[in-house]
Amino acid sequence: MPKTKLNILPVRTFERLGVNDTERDIRRMETENIIVPDSENQVIVQYKETDTETNIVLEQNAGLKLIQIFDRKTQTVSKLKANLAENAKLNLFQLYLGSDTVSEIITELNGENAFFSAEIGYDLKEDDQLDINLIANHHGRKSVSDISVSGVLRENARKIFKGTIDFKHGSVGAAGNEKEDVILLSKNVRNKTVPIILCAEEDVIGNHGATIGRIDERHIFYMKSRGIPEKKAYELIAKSKLMKVIEQIDNEQVKKHIYGSLMWGDYLE
Amino acid sequence: MSRKTQVSDIDRSLYDFRYEEDANDFLESGISPEIIREISDEKGDPDWMRAFRLKSLEIYHRTPMVHWGASIDGLNLDNIVTYIRPKSRMNTNWDSVPEEIKSTFEKLGIPQAERESLAGVGAQYDSELVYHNVRAEVAQSGVIYTDLESAMHDERYAEIIRSHFMKLVPPEDHKFAALHGAVWSGGSFVYVPKNVHLEIPLQSYFRLNAKGAGQFEHTLIILEEGAYLHFIEGCSAPKYYEAGLHAGCVELYVGKNATLRYSTIENWSKNMYNLNTKRALVDEGGKIEWVSGSFGSHVSYLYPMSILNGRGASAEFTGITFAGEGQDLDTGAKIVHNAPDTSSYINTKSISKSGGKSTFRSAVTVNENAVGSKSSVNCESLMLDRISRSDTVPVIDAKTDQCDIGHEAKIGRISNEAIFYLMARGICEEEARAMIVRGFADNVSKELPLEYAVEMNNLIGLEMHGSVG
Amino acid sequence: MSELLRIQNLSAGIEGKELLHGISLSVSEGETHVLMGQNGAGKSTLGSTIMGSPEYTVTDGNIYFDGENITNESADKRAKRGIFLSFQNPIEIPGITLSEFLRNALEQQTGMRIKLWEHKKKLKAAMETLSMDFSYAERDLNVGFSGGEKKKAEILQLLMLQPKLAILDETDSGLDVDAVKIVSKGIEEYRKTVNGALIIITHNTKILEELHVDCTHILSNGRIVKEGDGQLAADVLANGFEKYIGEV
Repeated sequence: MPKTKLNILPVRTFERLGVNDTERDIRRMETENIIVPDSENQVIVQYKETDTETNIVLEQNAGLKLIQIFDRKTQTVSKLKANLAENAKLNLFQLYLGSDTVSEIITELNGENAFFSAEIGYDLKEDDQLDINLIANHHGRKSVSDISVSGVLRENARKIFKGTIDFKHGSVGAAGNEKEDVILLSKNVRNKTVPIILCAEEDVIGNHGATIGRIDERHIFYMKSRGIPEKKAYELIAKSKLMKVIEQIDNEQVKKHIYGSLMWGDYLE
Repeated sequence: MSRKTQVSDIDRSLYDFRYEEDANDFLESGISPEIIREISDEKGDPDWMRAFRLKSLEIYHRTPMVHWGASIDGLNLDNIVTYIRPKSRMNTNWDSVPEEIKSTFEKLGIPQAERESLAGVGAQYDSELVYHNVRAEVAQSGVIYTDLESAMHDERYAEIIRSHFMKLVPPEDHKFAALHGAVWSGGSFVYVPKNVHLEIPLQSYFRLNAKGAGQFEHTLIILEEGAYLHFIEGCSAPKYYEAGLHAGCVELYVGKNATLRYSTIENWSKNMYNLNTKRALVDEGGKIEWVSGSFGSHVSYLYPMSILNGRGASAEFTGITFAGEGQDLDTGAKIVHNAPDTSSYINTKSISKSGGKSTFRSAVTVNENAVGSKSSVNCESLMLDRISRSDTVPVIDAKTDQCDIGHEAKIGRISNEAIFYLMARGICEEEARAMIVRGFADNVSKELPLEYAVEMNNLIGLEMHGSVG
Repeated sequence: MSELLRIQNLSAGIEGKELLHGISLSVSEGETHVLMGQNGAGKSTLGSTIMGSPEYTVTDGNIYFDGENITNESADKRAKRGIFLSFQNPIEIPGITLSEFLRNALEQQTGMRIKLWEHKKKLKAAMETLSMDFSYAERDLNVGFSGGEKKKAEILQLLMLQPKLAILDETDSGLDVDAVKIVSKGIEEYRKTVNGALIIITHNTKILEELHVDCTHILSNGRIVKEGDGQLAADVLANGFEKYIGEV
């Protein structure tokens, strides 16, 4: 059975960097449609365990808070497509707890003042793999995207995060921010970060930032000076990265489930 | 009232002039083994080079077209004369340079640069060096600065050239590296012995001046342990109607604790395909500093690569790209951290105007063995109108946890507040914009020797002229 | 004394929202005027509109300077005529030094080339008046300057450019006592050397103590609601705006 190439960057670049190499054997893709009507607000929590395509339509002034949890299970392919009308607001929270995930998020900020935020966290270990391809297409005037990604790689984990902010012609007054913080905790990890900005409009503001590597030694020293052992200090900082996403979840059941997956015993009490 | 800006007193055509070429020694347009043999015969290549050219041609024919960046569909390789021999032979004395060639260079300011005590001028007219003069003191310190072709025939240098030539950029690298290997012609060879610090910069001026002519000069620089050199490469070419191709190659070997600064201002004419490959291999404690300004050409592919191969090696890349009407400039830098405690800093600015497109493309790779390495990338883009385009495409690949990598990218425009502030002090809008752009480019201009910084500011002024509609 | 600035029935605003409604005022050579009013009253809008900020569109009325209608002139032309605005929030411009910038502005305004050493000598003298460290001359324009340093740099430009009319938009706000003294000294120096006219936008008594105020204008909701002499400014500072605003 032929494999499908997934998570292709919206622009070309040097092939030998291997940023477009992910392919999967997709047998069945479930489709889910979410439509939030004019001026309504919804909150949806999803556990992703099967290959799914999620199509989101946010009508004028509609708001959606979507929380997606990718559990430690089998291979998962997720495709999320969102269309945002005028003043629509999508707050996406994603938590990747391990295994092998290919996730694509394409948001079309069509309407004026459309707003898209993404808080993405991951904690990968053993032979976990994660490939994220996030694309925010700014079409509408004064549309805003705000993307924040943070996570931890341990043991043999491999991760690639491709984040593109694309200011299309006509997106006058648009703004896009993207930030990724990656903590690497083993010499065998492999991290690729591809923070892209594409721009065909003058009056826009785009910012990208990424920090990759070990935790600042001053932070570790500070904690050690307060009596926290080094290993624990690393864990605390790693947890703090995920907590930014977990804090957004109002549902205690869901939180408990996540802590269980992460084996954060002390948070269960 | 007279306007006291550098914008007003420069005539763009200065950079776009040319003289009619006598039809001297045009070879057939396409590239076949026969042509390659003719080139070898003409140059009297040693056997290894004859074989190398033919092997490169083979690789060229079987290598697919490059596919990562700007479109080069307008380039017809079958139509490009790859080699033109100028009328004059090697010169070390300005007086014996033919009048026509001389006045071309005079317009470009080469003798002035010489007078201003630059160490030597290796000026390439079409495909061969026509003028070459190294000051006595440079030669006395044991520094070799000569043209690569004659050095290859000098038994003192033959072996070192053979063991370094296209070892850093092998013909297999990409299609234009292969083409270069097959048809390269002219270029400089610099060798700086152990612990020699050359205080004055060495300068070379490349120039294309014949219809449909390609230029494939090769620069090979070797710095021994503890040496220091600043090499300046300046490029300008007259305007032409047929697409021109520049596929040069620069190979830099920076020895243990040596420092090489390599500065370039490229101002190719705006129909030129500038597909250049530059690479440095840096040994323990050594340092490569790139200063790069890309202004001209129709399409550019330029991403100098620094391979940090010894403990504590470092690379600094400072660049500016200015894409105006009809230009698609795909530029950036590549860094490979291949030893412990290596560090790299990339700091670039790009400007897009009048429908021009600039792309910043980078690749920072930290290998498994590069523990304790640091990398910082900072790129800023300025959009001067809404018909232009600016893309930023960086890739970071970390294969070890013992590293510290930072990346920052910004895109925006000149704020109306800043323009109003300057105008409120009596500066007209066009000059206000030019001032802000020059300020934006300051990181590069302050790294350049004065006369180059002035030339770069002039170029920005020229590009900004008429920017207010 | 002859009239320098005349504003006639001026209305202006942004994107279809009118912020100034039918303002009229007149400033003669050498006079000092004070503009007062609460936040959002339109003081800064008026100052910026006189300078020709593209942010605001004039919808009605005219501005005359030295008898000529400048309502539609760009800011650089107004600067050349001798109008100066000290910005409330001076813009940071990387890559251009303060000295280089001022020399450029002077050359543009006078149309004459200025010798570098003469420029530096003059600049140094002016900086001494303002107790500014000369190292600021070679720093990028306003980049990394503290609030106080930025305001001093504005006054420095006032002294160097010697305009006929200076509009000071809260140049004294956020400054400590010593800094206000220095700014006052700079203003005094300006009055002394060129007998320039002033429009001062302020909330502060300190800066007015050393000056003879000829005229006070109180703005509310984009209109001048009360005018008077120097005593009015003193009253407002002592007792607040309320009673004047209530008169509308």
